[in-house]
Amino acid sequence: MKENIRDKTAQNGETAQCACPIISSKDFNFYYGTTMGVKNITMNINPCSVTAIIGPSGCGKSTFLRSINRMNDLIPGVWTEGKLVVDGQDIYDKRVNLVNLRQQVGMVFQKPNPFPKSIFDNVAYGPRLQGITQRTALDEVIEQSLKASALWEEVKDNLRKSALALSGGQQQRLCIARALATRPRVLLMDEPCSALDPLATGKIEDLINQLKNDYTIVIVTHNMQQAARVSETTAFFCLGELIEYDLTSKIFENPSNKKTEDYITGRFG
Amino acid sequence: MRPGIRIAIDKIFTVVAGASVVCLCLVLAGVLGPMLWRGGSAVAFKGTVEFRKMQLVLFGRGDEDKIAAESRQAEIARAKIYSTIEKFKGGIDSEALIDKAKQIYRQFGNDLRQTDRTAEEVAELRSVTRQIRDRLESAFASSNAAEVNESLAYVLNFKDDPRFKNTSAAGLIGLAEQYSKDIHGINLAERQRYYQEIRQVEDILTELLGPAPGTATPALMMNRFGATRWDLAQKLLGQLCWYEEWIKQGPGQPMVKRLTPRSQRFAGTEIEGLFIYIQKNLPEMLKPKPTFYWQYFIDDSTPGHYFGGVGPEILGTLLLTILAMLFVVPFGVISAAYLVECASDNLVIRIIRMSINTLAGVPSIVFGLFGLAFFVLFFLPLFGAPSKGCILAASMTLAVLTLPVMIRASEEAIRAVPQTYKEASLALGASRFRTFVKVTLPAALPGILTGVILSLSRVAGETAPVLFTGAVALGPVPKSIFDPTRTLSYGSYDMAVGDKLAAMVPHNQFGMVVTLVLLILCLNTVAIILRSRMFKKLAGH
Ligand SMILES: Nc1ncnc2c1ncn2[C@@H]1O[C@H](COP(=O)(O)OP(=O)(O)O)[C@@H](O)[C@H]1O
Ligand SMILES: [Mg+2]
Repeated sequence: MKENIRDKTAQNGETAQCACPIISSKDFNFYYGTTMGVKNITMNINPCSVTAIIGPSGCGKSTFLRSINRMNDLIPGVWTEGKLVVDGQDIYDKRVNLVNLRQQVGMVFQKPNPFPKSIFDNVAYGPRLQGITQRTALDEVIEQSLKASALWEEVKDNLRKSALALSGGQQQRLCIARALATRPRVLLMDEPCSALDPLATGKIEDLINQLKNDYTIVIVTHNMQQAARVSETTAFFCLGELIEYDLTSKIFENPSNKKTEDYITGRFG
Repeated sequence: MRPGIRIAIDKIFTVVAGASVVCLCLVLAGVLGPMLWRGGSAVAFKGTVEFRKMQLVLFGRGDEDKIAAESRQAEIARAKIYSTIEKFKGGIDSEALIDKAKQIYRQFGNDLRQTDRTAEEVAELRSVTRQIRDRLESAFASSNAAEVNESLAYVLNFKDDPRFKNTSAAGLIGLAEQYSKDIHGINLAERQRYYQEIRQVEDILTELLGPAPGTATPALMMNRFGATRWDLAQKLLGQLCWYEEWIKQGPGQPMVKRLTPRSQRFAGTEIEGLFIYIQKNLPEMLKPKPTFYWQYFIDDSTPGHYFGGVGPEILGTLLLTILAMLFVVPFGVISAAYLVECASDNLVIRIIRMSINTLAGVPSIVFGLFGLAFFVLFFLPLFGAPSKGCILAASMTLAVLTLPVMIRASEEAIRAVPQTYKEASLALGASRFRTFVKVTLPAALPGILTGVILSLSRVAGETAPVLFTGAVALGPVPKSIFDPTRTLSYGSYDMAVGDKLAAMVPHNQFGMVVTLVLLILCLNTVAIILRSRMFKKLAGH
């Protein structure tokens, strides 16, 4: 199934839009009380792809990203307009199960935020929420997740060690492993490398390249080279609006919007 | 600013800061030092043979034979005191002597009825003995030496009278003989005063050495042993050797105390030398020995804090404190969780917050009265429990007292948990409740423990809230939480207001206070160790 979609996308070629997107927003508006977060966002994101969101600070990248798993709900007084569909379900529908949604749509934050618990307990947190308590099953999930996040070799001998004893890069990969352990379909990353050194950043980027085979990844980044390196499609946000959304190569080489070009070439932002 | 000035200001700041720390330490040492020193004397002191006897009798501690041998030695040294006083008293206790004379006379009358004498003979003997008795009585009561001698001479005339040979009436003549010997050297005019003061001396001696040999075992336990501690013995020795009197100076002026040596009060009698003897030989009589009485912390105090230790007080304090913590910690944490995680910032919540802050400043006696009115009189009967002060009511009152502290500390601790932890948990699909229980609470635990430490110290030391709700000064060890208990704080308060006892057992009052301080220190140490463990775990070491 996944392969099919990928093939189709490849056949469609230039266009970033695809026939059966996993995330699809239509005229989506987000308000922090009276101030607007993002407006009129209409974009479709393909399954098993990496989409980068770029744009100047305060333009609503995080707002949009956090709308996808409704993390913005924590802020009092927020409300939305329009449609945001994930995996065929309107997530701002009243009946939507937040727990399921968030297990479907994992998130990695700007600053590595492992719990002050052991590595094992960190990764096991999600599976335990899903009711997996059997030791063997947990062990399996944890090994898989840590292998998927390329951390297994480094920590396999001391899973009982506190997660806070890891380095920043390792912590971030642990957070990715933790998110992967709930077996999500989508992984949201909000500037996952901005608190990391170049070496750790490189490792995370390699990881993203591996993960895109199985997961849909949406990544917010300030680093243009990073967006160019890891993503297939790129969305450029400015002042709460989606200015341009296209294949990454097109955005960086031949943007159709003037603002995009200015931003890419560093003339504003 | 010029660098020179900046350096100077820096230096001054360092010096001032250092000085203030030194001041603080000095104040602490000044407060705690004497307290520890005096309280320490409850445990480490010079114990007398009376102490060891008491330990043997009340707690079954010590080597019976050794103590018996020791007290025999002590009794040998003491014997002289009792014989001297006995002799001296023989000459001055008029009432006892008169009673004795009357008794002998009555006995003689009874004896006469059983003999085979004629009625006239009996009548005559009776009238003669009555005369003898009357003269004796007048001799005993009089303070005029000439009169006394005349009366005694009259009585002694009958010494060789064959009618009295081998009869009970001979006792009367014996009395006269004894008395004329006893009053030798006594100023008869002072007899009344001697009589009172020798009674005083005897009382002090009972406190110092225990009941005199041959007297009945006193009913009160506290009178059964002499001074158990050498420092108390020294104090009593002072009272024994110095006669205290309060002299009026004139109208409207305070009275002044005057001390005169007691030997001077008994000048010219055989008692005069007794005081020097006691002073010299007191160590032989009491055999003081350095004693380390660690059982002070576990022993019951049998007759109201006079002997023994503070075991039940420690137990009661611990029980109250721990029970209060069991009530206040869940309550405080849940309230704080609500205030932080759920409550929006509306008027009601603001009023609740203000109430909590106000509650923190309410005097503790108010909580005591509240506890009496609510828990003791209302809440307990509601569940069929007897409406009297008890551990349960007291600990609940203490819990209410410290609730504001607990809530505020927990609130701060919960607020201090990084938002990112909560976000991470929520992003993994956890509910808010689960996030709180699994992530926020564990991360907030060290801060909550800080609240526990603050509450603990407050609760363990409070007196007023337990005053009406469950503390007693004396009483049995509680069997359930529906019994009242003794506590260290209330015990020391009670002793402080019960002046006689406090004066008799100063070590106990300070001992209780120091025990309380040490207990709080121990509890806090445990909590602090726990907290640092948690901190370490949270920090990932
Ligand atoms: N919690 C909030 N409450 C109100 N306004 C917010 C909040 N978070 C973000 N905003 C506003 O929404 C806009 C978009 O923010 P954000 O999505 O964080 O931008 P960025 O692209 O830098 O991630 C900004 O103007 C910001 O001021
Ligand atoms: Mg952002």
